[in-house]
Amino acid sequence: MNLAVRNLRSVQVLGIDAGGTMTDTFFVDANGEFVVGKAQSTPENEAIGLINSSRDGLSLWNMELGEALSQLNTGVYSGTAMLNRVVQRKGLKCGLIVNAGMEDFHRMGRAVQSHLGYAYEDRIHLNTHRYDPPLVPRHLTRGVVERVDMFGTVVIPLREDTARRAAQELIAQDVEGIVISLLHSYKNSSHERRVRDIVIEEVARSGKTIPVFASADYYPVRKESHRTNTTILEGYAAEPSRQTLKKISDAFKEQGTKFDFRVMATHGGTISWKAKELARTIVSGPIGGVIGAKYLGEVLGYNNIACSDIGGTSFDVALITQGELTIKNDPDMARLVLSLPLVAMDSVGAGAGSFIRLDPYTKAIKLGPDSAGYRVGVCWADSGIETVTISDCHMVLGYLNPDNFLGGAIKLDRQRSVDAIKKQVADPLGLSVEDAAAGVIELLDSDLRDYLRAMISGKGYSPASFVCFSYGGAGPVHTYGYTEGLGFEDVIVPAWAAGFSAFGCAAADFEYRYDKSLDINLAPDAPDVDRAKAAAVLQEAWDELTRNVLEEFRLNGYEADKVTLQPGYRMQYRGQLNDLEIESPIKSASTAEDWNAMVDAYNATYGRVYSESARSPELGYSVTGAIMRGTVPIQKPKIPVDTLHGDTPPEEAKIGTRKFYRKKRWVDAQLYKMEALLPGNRVTGPAIIESDATTFVVPDGFETFLDGHRLFHLKEV
Amino acid sequence: MSYTRTKIADLIDGRIDQDTLHQMLSMPKDAERFATYIDILQERLPWKDRIILPLGPKLYIVQRQDTKEWKTRCECGHDFCDWKENWKLHALINVRDTPQKLEQIYPRLMAPTPSWQVLREYFCPECGTLHDVEAPTPWYPVIHDFEPDIDTFYRDWLGMPVPERAVVA
Repeated sequence: MNLAVRNLRSVQVLGIDAGGTMTDTFFVDANGEFVVGKAQSTPENEAIGLINSSRDGLSLWNMELGEALSQLNTGVYSGTAMLNRVVQRKGLKCGLIVNAGMEDFHRMGRAVQSHLGYAYEDRIHLNTHRYDPPLVPRHLTRGVVERVDMFGTVVIPLREDTARRAAQELIAQDVEGIVISLLHSYKNSSHERRVRDIVIEEVARSGKTIPVFASADYYPVRKESHRTNTTILEGYAAEPSRQTLKKISDAFKEQGTKFDFRVMATHGGTISWKAKELARTIVSGPIGGVIGAKYLGEVLGYNNIACSDIGGTSFDVALITQGELTIKNDPDMARLVLSLPLVAMDSVGAGAGSFIRLDPYTKAIKLGPDSAGYRVGVCWADSGIETVTISDCHMVLGYLNPDNFLGGAIKLDRQRSVDAIKKQVADPLGLSVEDAAAGVIELLDSDLRDYLRAMISGKGYSPASFVCFSYGGAGPVHTYGYTEGLGFEDVIVPAWAAGFSAFGCAAADFEYRYDKSLDINLAPDAPDVDRAKAAAVLQEAWDELTRNVLEEFRLNGYEADKVTLQPGYRMQYRGQLNDLEIESPIKSASTAEDWNAMVDAYNATYGRVYSESARSPELGYSVTGAIMRGTVPIQKPKIPVDTLHGDTPPEEAKIGTRKFYRKKRWVDAQLYKMEALLPGNRVTGPAIIESDATTFVVPDGFETFLDGHRLFHLKEV
Repeated sequence: MSYTRTKIADLIDGRIDQDTLHQMLSMPKDAERFATYIDILQERLPWKDRIILPLGPKLYIVQRQDTKEWKTRCECGHDFCDWKENWKLHALINVRDTPQKLEQIYPRLMAPTPSWQVLREYFCPECGTLHDVEAPTPWYPVIHDFEPDIDTFYRDWLGMPVPERAVVA
């Protein structure tokens, strides 16, 4: 008899979300079934929390850690450690080499950095603006004499002795990394690379080991502040993370895994911890959900998706149009402008933990912008929170089960919420407690709904051509509220909404992406010889980026023949301000015909994104950047396909009723256990579908259908 | 919502962390803030006359204990004048209106041209504290910065009784 009979399950994919307080693990088996494990994070050695969390998750399948880990095909990590290191300015001691005379630009920063990440009220409230201490202090900054102009022409030759002296002085100060960022090095990198080599020589001569980062090797793109900040992050924040990731990877290998962990990166692909450009893993969590939605869309045939994610602190929205994500090229994070490709996402600071306050003068209800985060609200006696939150309103109105929050991990007290809302909101407004709480929820829902509508119509689309995905711990509680009346083609809540980001990370491609700025300008009537020349310039950039991409894969043991390359470019009509990222229709460019093919692809995309009548080919075309993406095939989680059962949910799925308040009346909502519902079941509101990590609210007037892929479809009836 | 006395003292001394400061700036002001703030300032001063309104880091409108007159007063106890008057007219004034005088505090070529702009510095005649600096065109009259409507401020904004004020003869 085969020993495997004890457990026939074959575990395929592990997704990790290492947050500041909790570490979640997400295991998927060959049938697409999954479990979520939770454990306290252990910042001093993240591997411990990860192993504990894995044990917790696998125990639900009665599996031993070693048994499951040795079956795994792949694992993807996402975490907040690097972002926290930057937010708290607790990175390594780095030195910076810039142009002589420009030594102060890094600490002066861009003006916008004084109020990045602020709520609108604070952006226009100048007193709140402030500048953070620079990543590299002035006394660790040195200038070298050289100048390259914006056309890439050498104006002042490099005085090598100044570079040598700069290197020696920084090395003498025991820096842990040296970053080089010279003006216009994206256009002509010869001086910067020469300085890099001089610094490497000096480091070798000193006998110390100090990594050296030249911006041209990492981010050969326009905008000095962005490029410099990003290159500094490589030395300042990414190197410590590399050590952490190596530790985690090693700890898991000891337990039996046979692969290197990959990390979710800002461009929407996953990369290895060995990657040269590791700074782009600075944010990963929220992107995971978008990638997950895109993957589901590809498999199930949804082309246009509005992704919406509500967590404790924010509401994040991203649009997938014609199966494509939008990539933003100069995002900001941790109050720094950066040049990383980032999956475009819009956020409002309104989540389940958002605080609710009354303006003392106008008595207007104000949501957020700060929140209780993981501390839920007043309803959790141990939280220390005194100001009521959205979750407190949920408690009052019967949306949440006080005894089954996070699977009963913490006990909530409804009466605490009632008392606090009465004192802080209801009494001052002269309302009953339930009407006050319901009013707050309505306000939040209409805020989110307006935001979602504005975002979709602002890009020239109608919600009717979009499927809305709703996930995140608190997403399904509000799905009905922020989609009601918008007329989406369909509204989908995955049964694994709380683990959807981790699922998305696991579904992401193993993909490296490199970008380079270009300035190609062509008149509409340019002769063929100029078109061919423009194509050649682009090809030269692609060649350079291809070398970088292949080098990254080589570090991970993939030879060039395993890598699928996809070139891209950013193009705009000459003189316009915004460019579009285009996936190139041709693999290489050399002739006027190649150029014309790229122009056609741009015109087609422009017509789709804006409108056909807005095209302006008479202006001619500019190429502002070259992009090269490389992927290798990897195992992805399967999407479950179950046979459909009848409309009626099984009796064992029903777990009682709860008083539920909406539209000025109390009703008895039928409670269901999410895991016990069968594909094909229909649930008509008022109903609340509970699972450990999320709650799906189906009020009266709504109905939901669970399909064979374990996706709930919500519709108004 | 209110802050502890220690927190407000830290705010006055500039020892508060950025996050708390940002929150204090963004939120509607707590009702007791002004009273606490004044109380802390009062306790640190060498004299007992009541502060009606702070005008600067070391400059106040105060109510004299003996006469109930309101005066503009320096931290050292020197009374400039009645609160309705412009205290600057009772200060020691240093005007920097030549390149030589301006270059005492600015590098050459980085100071204003004195025919266009001058600096006027206003000192307490008793302790020499520099209370204010103006940078107007040379011919411009002494600026009366601030004519606070204290009655409305106390009555409508703070909800406190307006302190007693002896009318100047």
